[in-house]
Amino acid sequence: MIILRGRKIKKVFGKKTNTQEVLKDIDIEVREGEFVGIMGPSGSGKTTLLNVLASIDKVTEGMIEINNFNLQKMKEQKLAQFRREQLGFVFQDYNLLDTLTVKENIYLPLSVGKVPKTVAEKKIKDITTLLGIEDILNKYPNEISGGQKQRTSAARALVGNPSIVFADEPTGALDSKSATALLSNLEKINKEKKVTIMMVTHDPVAASFCSRVLFLKDGQIYSELYKGEKDRKQFYREIMNTQSVLSGDGYDA
Amino acid sequence: MAMTLNQLVLRSMRKNAKNYYLYVFALIFSVTLYYSFVTLQYNPAITKEIGNGMTATILKAASYLLLFIVIFFVLYANKLFMNRRSKEIGLYQLVGMPKGLVTRLIAIENIILWLGAIILGVFMGFITSRIFVMILLKIIEKDAFVELSFSIEALLRTVIVFLLLLMVVILQTAMRIRRVSLLSLITTTVVADEKVKKFNAFQMILGFIGLVFIGYGYYLSTTLLDLLDDPTLTPDKMLIQLLLILTLTIGGTYFVFRFSVALILNMVRKSKKGLMSVADVLSLSTIMHRMKSSAMSLTTITILSATTLGILTLAYISYYSADAMAQDSVSYDYVMYEDTGFDLIDEFDKEGIQYTRHDLDLLAVQADVRPLLLKEFALKKDVSTLLTVQVVSQKDIQNKLPNLQLKEDEGYIVGYDSLSAENIRLESEKPIQFITSTGTDEIFITEVTEESLVPNYHNYNFITVIVSDFYFQKLLHDPLNENQKIVGMELKEEDQLKKAEEVFEENKVSVEIPYPSGLATKTVSVESQEIYRLDILNSFGLTIFISGFLGLAFLIATGSILYFKQMSEADEEKGAYTILRKMGFTTNEIMKGIRRKQLFNFGFPLLIGLSHSYFAVKAGWVFFGTELVAPLLITMSIYIILYSIFAILSAGYYRKVVENAF
Ligand SMILES: Nc1ncnc2c1ncn2[C@@H]1O[C@H](COP(=O)(O)OP(=O)(O)O)[C@@H](O)[C@H]1O
Ligand SMILES: [Mg+2]
Repeated sequence: MIILRGRKIKKVFGKKTNTQEVLKDIDIEVREGEFVGIMGPSGSGKTTLLNVLASIDKVTEGMIEINNFNLQKMKEQKLAQFRREQLGFVFQDYNLLDTLTVKENIYLPLSVGKVPKTVAEKKIKDITTLLGIEDILNKYPNEISGGQKQRTSAARALVGNPSIVFADEPTGALDSKSATALLSNLEKINKEKKVTIMMVTHDPVAASFCSRVLFLKDGQIYSELYKGEKDRKQFYREIMNTQSVLSGDGYDA
Repeated sequence: MAMTLNQLVLRSMRKNAKNYYLYVFALIFSVTLYYSFVTLQYNPAITKEIGNGMTATILKAASYLLLFIVIFFVLYANKLFMNRRSKEIGLYQLVGMPKGLVTRLIAIENIILWLGAIILGVFMGFITSRIFVMILLKIIEKDAFVELSFSIEALLRTVIVFLLLLMVVILQTAMRIRRVSLLSLITTTVVADEKVKKFNAFQMILGFIGLVFIGYGYYLSTTLLDLLDDPTLTPDKMLIQLLLILTLTIGGTYFVFRFSVALILNMVRKSKKGLMSVADVLSLSTIMHRMKSSAMSLTTITILSATTLGILTLAYISYYSADAMAQDSVSYDYVMYEDTGFDLIDEFDKEGIQYTRHDLDLLAVQADVRPLLLKEFALKKDVSTLLTVQVVSQKDIQNKLPNLQLKEDEGYIVGYDSLSAENIRLESEKPIQFITSTGTDEIFITEVTEESLVPNYHNYNFITVIVSDFYFQKLLHDPLNENQKIVGMELKEEDQLKKAEEVFEENKVSVEIPYPSGLATKTVSVESQEIYRLDILNSFGLTIFISGFLGLAFLIATGSILYFKQMSEADEEKGAYTILRKMGFTTNEIMKGIRRKQLFNFGFPLLIGLSHSYFAVKAGWVFFGTELVAPLLITMSIYIILYSIFAILSAGYYRKVVENAF
């Protein structure tokens, strides 16, 4: 089943004479349970694409559908509610509220719904156990490591059972060990709980955890790789190859 | 380098316009207020027209108070201004600008801003001082015209004060730049939070002590008036008591903010076991984490609010009581004494002024009020219950108390006002003993009331007993008692008052009348209630005006500080709003939490301030007037409304920040 569908997505920044077309006619489809990576040179529009798909930003032209809901047709209020109920977010800089404990941060998405307290407790316990952060629930963000922060952020994104999770360079600020741990966790959750994930990254290792990788260049999808039955090492090499083809035109990674 | 420096200053000024406008507002406001007040102070016409010999002293004292507000406000605004710009200043240093240069840059910028503010403030102050004079004359209901020329003296004084203040600010800034490391400059806005983790028993005790302090301070304030009756009281003792009350309430307030609030909020938070709603997140946890840094300013705001309210209420009590006090002292529109001022009656007839005439016999009778005392009331040792009371016959007062029915041995007390009540507490349904030449008569008192219906002639501000006509005749013929015939005149048409006053002015008479003791004489004259009222207004008018002026200055300063503080808080929390909005919380949901926080930040200091001022006013209001409840409620309501404006403004600012946080 196709969970996300984008048609002729166009995004222009700036006004009048000083405009910049960041996304140019992008078509994209994501199936339920996919783990999609988005790669591309810096400034190629990865974040912009993720933001418009995730309803954080508006497209200039085109159409985006998630779970058969047309994002462009929804009002601000409705869109916020939709985001809260159907989507999850993980950002490079964690985006945790530092006046709240880990547990309080994770509970946030459940706080407005009609989730009974006992169910919420169980959900938090399950997801934090899965991510290996069940021991730090009462700590504040400034008392835990970057890897733990990002796993907290991931737990918060996943706790409400979203249809799709968007992650923008989630490993960008992590050392390689923490990064691998997080990615393994995401991979596991994607496989076991069939959660659809879209992840922007410029790290080929991170991308090799995905089931499909899109390459963005100058606001267009340049190419696309499927992992298929390949193992991670093989997929990694394929990604590296594609990247080096791209880098002929000044790839900066 | 000079060229680059100038460019830098200009560019940074333009870029930081938002931060500047607050600071500049605070500066202009302060200069305006100060200049307009000093203009009044240095205007000879003011001291001549208004009040009495104390006028100049009062004005001077008030100008120091105002100076205090201004200094406090400007320094606080500068502190906030610098906090908000710490990133920018850090950046200058990051790009390699030496500290000395940065300091110079900020100094130049400050000098430009201050000079601008002084010029604008003086200009505005000149205009507002006229408005203030108009208000002042309106308060004391005077038609005088006060010439206000541009005062060089006031200008000089304002310029000196503000240049000195500017130097302090520059020095402060320089020191701050010198002391602070680059890293902390860049991160100031981030580290404002305190992580409340464990509450130890010690903090819990301190939180509790805060409440006890306030309670004890309140209790002491209620005993202040009784203290005045203590014969062993010395000024020192009184001062110590006052300082004790102040220390207890101010200290207690700080403890409450610093420890109790965070303690209680943390308990509420703990009880949620990590499952907090967004509204909780934005109110409970933010307030709790900020308590350490905001305890001081919230305490200051509370105390300032309480002071402002106290001053305003007391002043308003005098103003409000002017009518009642005039009514009390001169119970008819015009009061005349036997054989004096009867010309006035003819003149009124000639001018066609409509009036009703009431003739009264006022007797001075010795009485013992001991049997009338309230049972629980412990009389001070040296207070005698043997007093001169006025006695009036029921028929003479029929027009004011038409339903009064008294038996031969019954009496009805009027004029038992709050001041009398402070010394001697009386209750009805008990007898009073009149001392006559044939012995003592017991008269049963049916009621004790506050209104003063009879002019106080024989005793100042003490009770008058109304008795039956029959018994009055007995007292009247007793040689012990002295009688004074009085004529009270009541105008029939309110709008003839002005004309009547003119007639009165031309026919004023006064006579020397011996006191009942015969040892001295007093001058009594034909009295006009209106003139008496204007007299009160005139003598209290200046105090009322100054209190109002200072009160407004305090209010705007505290309100602005709260508003500035909320603005920076909003800016600092923008990141959190962004996260929440990305997660799918709507502006309205976030605003719900913010409004709760606002309710606390504005409401809590207000509530405690109101409570403090209530006890302060309660402790001393009897010296200011005769009415408590109405002026208190009116002042508090107006204060709450004006204060709310700042809460609404800052809520508006929050909404803008949340809407733009994405
Ligand atoms: N809010 C914005 N306003 C104007 N230009 C923007 C905005 N956000 C991004 N851009 C521009 O769009 C381009 C793509 O940005 P982005 O999507 O962040 O790239 P990436 O994430 O691939 O590095 C960049 O050139 C950037 O300058
Ligand atoms: Mg990006």
